[in-house]
Amino acid sequence: MHEGLKMTLVLLIIGVLCGSLLAAANDATAPLIAERIETEFLAALETFFPDVDQYEVEKVDKEEFYSCYDAGGQLIGVVGQVQAAGYGGNIDYDLAVDAAGDIIGIRISAHGETPGIGDVITKPDFQERLLGLNFTDPIAAGVDVDTVSGATVSTGGMINSIRRVMNIMGENFLGMEVEKAEIDLSTVADGTYTGTASGFQPDLTVEVTVSDGKITEIKVVSHNETDGICDNAINEMPGKIIEAQSLDVDTVSGATMTSQGIVNAVFEAFQ
Amino acid sequence: MTTLAQEFSKGIVKENPIFRLILGMCPTLAVSVTALNSLGMGISVIAVLLCSNIVVSAIRNVVPAKVRIPAYIMIIATFVTIVEMVLNAFAPELFEALGIFIPLIVVNCIILGRAEAFARKNTIGRSVVDALGIGLGYTLSLTLLGVIRELFGAGSIFGCPIMGTAFEPMGVLGVAPGAFITLGVLLGLFNYLFKRLGIE
Repeated sequence: MHEGLKMTLVLLIIGVLCGSLLAAANDATAPLIAERIETEFLAALETFFPDVDQYEVEKVDKEEFYSCYDAGGQLIGVVGQVQAAGYGGNIDYDLAVDAAGDIIGIRISAHGETPGIGDVITKPDFQERLLGLNFTDPIAAGVDVDTVSGATVSTGGMINSIRRVMNIMGENFLGMEVEKAEIDLSTVADGTYTGTASGFQPDLTVEVTVSDGKITEIKVVSHNETDGICDNAINEMPGKIIEAQSLDVDTVSGATMTSQGIVNAVFEAFQ
Repeated sequence: MTTLAQEFSKGIVKENPIFRLILGMCPTLAVSVTALNSLGMGISVIAVLLCSNIVVSAIRNVVPAKVRIPAYIMIIATFVTIVEMVLNAFAPELFEALGIFIPLIVVNCIILGRAEAFARKNTIGRSVVDALGIGLGYTLSLTLLGVIRELFGAGSIFGCPIMGTAFEPMGVLGVAPGAFITLGVLLGLFNYLFKRLGIE
């Protein structure tokens, strides 16, 4: 037989045989693997909701949410497999919220935070601050939850993300309405108000001047934000809020935490 | 002609893949963090080595020499993938622990090395014995490495803490530098031992 033909034929036959063997092995093991993953997942859901009997999964914006029902078909709560923006990249975590809107569990499944510093997000010291908070709470850094000093990006990222996830859960699964951090300016007397919240760093203080039921001036009087990076936020956010006469404004890209801090601080000024 | 017993025992001492042939060093260093992972890896390698040696030996007169390497790699990769699927289905903790190093068994030089150096020139029977000997030698050596690194690096063996609470574990043994150091020390030790025993 021609040499080249023999080589091709031998390789072809080996390829076909290998392929068949692999397909057979896959058929045998794939169902077992899928079943195991399913059991493990149900067990994981049980760590949050021991009474869970069945669940429904729904994707919102590429994130998966598992509505957990007990044996009687009642909704016990929702577990979201979601992401936060941390210091070392994305943080994958599970957030469990019960039917009343209380945070009952947080589990970090993957993260790239710095060991000994940012990985405080996996420790009870930090997670405790969030457990028990309700959907109706602000869940904002520096307002009702403090970041951990030295790990503000990691912890702040988690707090912001949890607020976002709570909103999604409330609107889509728990039948709760997201209360925009709105201020009813008609009830606010003229004057200057001071509020403090956390941006990238804690202690971002603003002075807000109200005249005739309108915000006329917002000044950032003190902060510890990063020079250069925060400038855009400090320059633009006051203008945005004044123009909209509301806190429902977009943050400045590249300085989201500072922007959010300014919004939170203005909200705090009116509390 | 060497006896079957000699074929088998050479894999454990004279041609020990880790301490004599110095093959498959990358997974050796990476996986030997704990004794259990080492044992798991060793058994996986024995499984793949056995299957690949048998098949390579069986087709040794049929495969043209010029295409033997692609042929062997296909065969080895197939068996490694099957082992991977089996581990995933039946030993998920080991599967997670060994991670990327399971598929890397394909390029573990021991497997291809034995196919090329032995299986394609010997009968199936002798190839089986060779695979078992080399595989066992690999597993024993790797587990030895794993036991030492786990004992002094984490204070336990196979997950059972035995060093007591007063023991301060040497964390460096759990990472790459510690792996190199442990391997180097053992290599020197075995070299000395073999020389004294007259094994070349």
